[in-house]
Amino acid sequence: MSAQSKTAVSPTRKRSLKQKIARVRAEGGFAAALMLAPSVFLLLVTSVYPFLWVFRYVAYDYNGMTSYYVGAHNFTRMLQDATFWESVLHTFEYAALKVVFIIPLALIMAVLMSRKIMGSGIFRGIYFMPTIISAAVSSMVFTFIFAAYNGVLNAVLRAAGLISQNINWLGDENVAMWSVIIVAIWGGFGNYMIYFMSGMSSISNDVYESARIDGANGMQIFWKITLPMLSPMLKIILMLAITGAFKDYESIMVLTQGGPNNRTQVMFLYIYQLIFGTNVKNPQIGYGTVLSLMAAVIVGAVTGIYLLLARKLDDVM
Amino acid sequence: MVKRDTAVYSRQAKFVRGLLFVFMLVVALLTLYPIIYVFFGSFKENKELLVGGVNIFPETFVIQNYIDAWEQADFATYTKNSLFLGITIMLFSLILSSMAGYVFARKKFRGKELIYGLFVAFMFINVGSVSLRPLFELAIGLHMNTSLWSVVLISAGGGQATSIFLVRGYMNTIPKELDEAAKIDGCTFFQTFYMILLPVLKPILATVALLSFRGGWNEYILPLVFTMTTPEQRPLTVGVNMLKNAGDGAAAWNIMFAGATIAIVPMLLIYICSSRYFIEGLTAGAVKG
Repeated sequence: MSAQSKTAVSPTRKRSLKQKIARVRAEGGFAAALMLAPSVFLLLVTSVYPFLWVFRYVAYDYNGMTSYYVGAHNFTRMLQDATFWESVLHTFEYAALKVVFIIPLALIMAVLMSRKIMGSGIFRGIYFMPTIISAAVSSMVFTFIFAAYNGVLNAVLRAAGLISQNINWLGDENVAMWSVIIVAIWGGFGNYMIYFMSGMSSISNDVYESARIDGANGMQIFWKITLPMLSPMLKIILMLAITGAFKDYESIMVLTQGGPNNRTQVMFLYIYQLIFGTNVKNPQIGYGTVLSLMAAVIVGAVTGIYLLLARKLDDVM
Repeated sequence: MVKRDTAVYSRQAKFVRGLLFVFMLVVALLTLYPIIYVFFGSFKENKELLVGGVNIFPETFVIQNYIDAWEQADFATYTKNSLFLGITIMLFSLILSSMAGYVFARKKFRGKELIYGLFVAFMFINVGSVSLRPLFELAIGLHMNTSLWSVVLISAGGGQATSIFLVRGYMNTIPKELDEAAKIDGCTFFQTFYMILLPVLKPILATVALLSFRGGWNEYILPLVFTMTTPEQRPLTVGVNMLKNAGDGAAAWNIMFAGATIAIVPMLLIYICSSRYFIEGLTAGAVKG
């Protein structure tokens, strides 16, 4: 607009604008804009818009059809919602257990792969295989494996004489979280193993060789060389593992739907059920947006604290 | 190299290596077990499945489960829908990420850092499933809520950042002299991309294709939400789980086993033929991200 009005006044400006356009065209500026446009458009529609939308219903009770203003009620309701805070605790429990098991296992397997024992290429392919399969489908397969009466896991354990009574893997409050963790480890350790392997491949072979010449054994090499040299990469992988674990809910949705008695309810699953669940008559979307923001804040805080701790460790070491 | 190494190892070291091999084998068998279990289980008769037991192989191989799943339980439709999602999401990802990756790697313009930063930021900003609600309402407004195309656009849009980074990272390793030579020969900005760089990008595009096909084929919560009222649009992931939630699910274990196998095996075959690209894509993404 302003360029147009200016060009009307002075013809020299007009020429320079034309020249500008010609130059941009010659350099492919318009082509570049057209080529980037679809991606930017989809980013705006599928990521930015939903994020901004969330704030719109924060102070409303909204069931998908009608909405009315409720002020801070959603927030006070959250503070009193025991199920939500339990689900937050379960999220921490799930994430902690998953990371504590999956990271050492992935690291051990990565170290073993690097020793080039017979068939390690095939093993690597097998360990990574679960990440190729839909979590929803593999979790469904696990519900058959875990089935209390005719599940194969109980059958195997009974045949081996390890248990005398069937364990209700997904229906017993004391066991269900462990079952969920087992599936999470099965589905994810190959992924982190590959991360570790790519980190280890950047450690120079010379370092290992000189250590071996100095008489270091495998354990010493691992603790004194591999682990310290891997630590920058380890920090990134740990962060990915922690934030990833906080966002998991697809597999739990299929395995237990948060049950039994909310024992495996994690925050993102609880929010999903509030908004899309079939077991609630009225979707509680306004309340769901408040919980979603709280969940995002929790994940953000965990990431922040982790980064802070990781930096502190750097100073100490 | 490896052979010479083993010759040097002492007997004790050999023993340790043997132990480690057994450990790796056990982990591999545990990893494979659920897949083997469901594959061979899908050929069992329903009554054998319902009784349970430790047998991996069926007493009698029956193919009837697949016929029933295909004809009565609509798995032909589910498979068609899964293929549609996998292929279209793959095509969208290829087109979007190759073009955007090229522009980000090769074009200087004002605001580039800002747009790029927006892509990065929204990889980390995550409000979870609530974001599906506005998209669902938007789809209703556009009369696209019963079309799988909305699933395609949302899935491709949500997953494009990773693919763009992969393409951009790979593009940065290609010498710029190639572009300049093309330009001197009279190629426009787009022709340089289409005729010169696209063929060079083949390896990374193969990775993007595989990762995005996997993403589309395995998508679950998104199509679940969008096909609540349209069973004929459901992909395998949703269809097979719906069958399980359908109440008297115990009766249809055989069909669910067959359905799960149909959902798993094609992806597995693709993986076996091209695991290198999957793993390279993952490591390249990890280093860049």
